[in-house]
Amino acid sequence: MSTGEFPRFYFALPRLLARFRGGSSERAETNGGEAWIASIVTYLVSYLFFAQFIPATLGLWSRALSFILLAFLVWLVWLLALFVNSLVIKLLQTCGLFRAIPIRRAQSILVAGTASAMSLQLLQGGGWSAEIAAIWLVAVAMNLAAAAILALRNGNRAHS
Amino acid sequence: MSRLGRFAVKGVFWRHYLDWAVINLPFYVYPVQLVFFTFFFFFFAAPARRAVVANLAVVLPGSSRAMNYLRAFRTLSNFAWTISEAAIHKIIKEEFSYEIIGAEWLEQLGAAPGAIVLTAHMGSYDLGAALFAEKFHREIRIVRAPEPDRQSAEHLSASLEQAGDGAVKVDYNTAGALLSFDLLKALRAGEIVSIQGDRVEGEMGQVTARLFGHKVQLPNGPFVLALVAQVPIYPLFIARFGFRRYAIIVHEPIRLENTGDRERDIANGVGQWCAILEETVGARWDQWFAFTPIFAR
Repeated sequence: MSTGEFPRFYFALPRLLARFRGGSSERAETNGGEAWIASIVTYLVSYLFFAQFIPATLGLWSRALSFILLAFLVWLVWLLALFVNSLVIKLLQTCGLFRAIPIRRAQSILVAGTASAMSLQLLQGGGWSAEIAAIWLVAVAMNLAAAAILALRNGNRAHS
Repeated sequence: MSRLGRFAVKGVFWRHYLDWAVINLPFYVYPVQLVFFTFFFFFFAAPARRAVVANLAVVLPGSSRAMNYLRAFRTLSNFAWTISEAAIHKIIKEEFSYEIIGAEWLEQLGAAPGAIVLTAHMGSYDLGAALFAEKFHREIRIVRAPEPDRQSAEHLSASLEQAGDGAVKVDYNTAGALLSFDLLKALRAGEIVSIQGDRVEGEMGQVTARLFGHKVQLPNGPFVLALVAQVPIYPLFIARFGFRRYAIIVHEPIRLENTGDRERDIANGVGQWCAILEETVGARWDQWFAFTPIFAR
């Protein structure tokens, strides 16, 4: 445990910014703000993606009920996807791949990849869903760039 | 317990799932996941939900039933975060920050030659015990109420002992008089014994007290032990203050004087404990994980 109060981050972009401000660019899983933002945006993108498939022909109450049920369905879909992916990562690890990083970090490839694919599809539709999708894609791109910069500057691998 | 029993609310499946999640899920999926798990348990753990609502009606007099349902949701959400973070500490030893309220009493406790830590089903007592053992390099014995599911109980004991790197020992208060003698011996040998003193379960020794103006049954074990062994009782709570942030709240010790009138001496100690419990639970009702009805109707 630590009594330190210095803010540290998980994602590459805030870590790079922290480094520019003279802080630490070391990865930490202790920042609640980061966790909440990433969690909500990831969930929101996937929710909006699946919400497109609810038929517009349904009545008002049916649609409302579908949207509520979808919220739980998306949660279950993510649970299942993360479970299956953990098995895939374990399989890859037995083949000698991804051995240097813990499974929970390797899962980010699935999370970022899936949400980005959903965002690309949402972008086609326009409207405020597309705005959220664009925010996600820009955030992912900036994080990847920041990860590359961090890797080049200090030689550390920046798994983002 | 049947195979299906593993999936019951108090079954071992959920504890195994949590351990799996700590190893396999990125830290940033927790917030939304825990919101949905809270919804899930809010609906399926109906007895616990009803108990929290009933307890809140007493802790927050004048509060509406509808508001107390929302507060129960918040309590269950805090519980989800607390057990998740305790599992994170146990399995991957991630960093946590903490502040100490009542540092002088904690230092005193750390150096005490035999003491009782009296705590409640509040915040992360698992994490607190591990932290205490780590900070003071001392062994601590935790006395817990038995879990209804045997496999869950075994898992919980193993978790507590693993979190404390071997310095935390768990006893269940089902062993009757033998455990009392064992604890007395431990206290006389200078050990620290931690007991949850906010509710009684099963056939354990109990004392009637008043909490928030209502009659409650509390365990009398800690007070009898303190009186017989002549050791202080340190009220200690671990409250969650935010994402992987905790506060250790330690109060001035309760010292039971042996006047020869055992009933009165114990009642005096219980009265002091109830005052502290009221203050702490009143301020942090959303972290009081009393999932059984506490107050007499």
